[in-house]
Amino acid sequence: MDFVTLGGNLLGTIPLGDIVLYLTPFNLFLFAVLLGFTALIAISKPETQVEASKFNTLGVAEVKVDEKEFKQRRFLSVICGIASAGAMITGDLFNFTLFMALVGILNIGIVSAVKQTSVLNSAFNYGLIAMMCSLPLFGGAAIILAATGTLSLAVLSQMPASPMVVFGAILMLIGILGESGVAPFFASKAEMFRTPGSPFIVIIHLSSLFIIVRAVEILLLVLW
Amino acid sequence: MRIGVLWNKLADPKNIPRLFAFSLGIILIVGLIVPMALNPDQLYPRPAPQEQIDEGLAIAPYDRGGEVLVSPGEIDPQYPDNAASLGMITGYMSPLAQWISSISPYFGTSIYSSPGGLIDEILYYTRGFDTILESSILMMSFIIASWLSINYTMNRKNDEEEIKKDFKKAITDSTHVANEVKANDAKARSKQLRRDN
Repeated sequence: MDFVTLGGNLLGTIPLGDIVLYLTPFNLFLFAVLLGFTALIAISKPETQVEASKFNTLGVAEVKVDEKEFKQRRFLSVICGIASAGAMITGDLFNFTLFMALVGILNIGIVSAVKQTSVLNSAFNYGLIAMMCSLPLFGGAAIILAATGTLSLAVLSQMPASPMVVFGAILMLIGILGESGVAPFFASKAEMFRTPGSPFIVIIHLSSLFIIVRAVEILLLVLW
Repeated sequence: MRIGVLWNKLADPKNIPRLFAFSLGIILIVGLIVPMALNPDQLYPRPAPQEQIDEGLAIAPYDRGGEVLVSPGEIDPQYPDNAASLGMITGYMSPLAQWISSISPYFGTSIYSSPGGLIDEILYYTRGFDTILESSILMMSFIIASWLSINYTMNRKNDEEEIKKDFKKAITDSTHVANEVKANDAKARSKQLRRDN
């Protein structure tokens, strides 16, 4: 499928050697929304979670984010927002998988600063998945490169899909599914959210959501 | 097995990596029956395997030709307009590299070679943004690892719940010991009493 059918008129490109970022209204919108959200995160304070954990009493336990933890998580969330914003406008298949891997490791980093054992356990399990995902992600991009001889999305969108390209796209898809934690691989990622510090936790969710949208566009460009 | 049991198993984070590895394995096995062939029309073309070795070139299999700053070597980028002077330094070799390649036919395959800038030019000139991203992935993992090793989040020594549990355990232990001492005391006393009588 062509760029113009999917994202609207091509407004311009940012050439960085062979990696050409392209700007269509669709991609620019995703990019701007993510950057705006990242700016909001950079200036906001984390929420405190209230847990009714004590039986037989009326007392509640407050789970707070201390300052050191807060700084680390804010830094990683801002980088995560920028990385997912970059994934929205990149015009190169391999570049996209690299952004994806960066977002994956930052997601683990944001929750690794938490001091709750259950959250850390599920973050560890998610880390295992993210590690495994590098095989289908980069393998899928490599197979598409071998089948078509190019990585540029603008050129790939003009090419007919062969069975090898379809296989590469399926590999990439399972990598994206695992990395962004959608069904049926949701449990480890959903458990990671059960912790205070809301805006930082939400960027994990938001980045995988946006990357799914962008991945659908890329798969349509490659396959159609 | 009922489907509800299956869904409950899916809700446990411990089972997810296994499920993912299993489905990835299935797809990779399916991949064995997909017809695969290398498209000869590639970016950054390379000579066929063994071709340069058979020709006896000193820096096989990395020889891309070209003369430093005079004529470009053979690198075929996607967008030649964005990299106007690509290939100009691809033939560069340091004096040491030239000397080693003159005495050894295996220079090109050894790890210390990387003759000149041919790898560097593709990596840093045409695909420079990828290199930036790769090193930032590495940097982020180092940041996370160093934060974890300094603040050691798995450390439960100062955890309030843990301290409370340890406290309770210590109390039961000491009452246990006290009871035992008391029992021994009573036993000894009765023994003494028996002996006295």
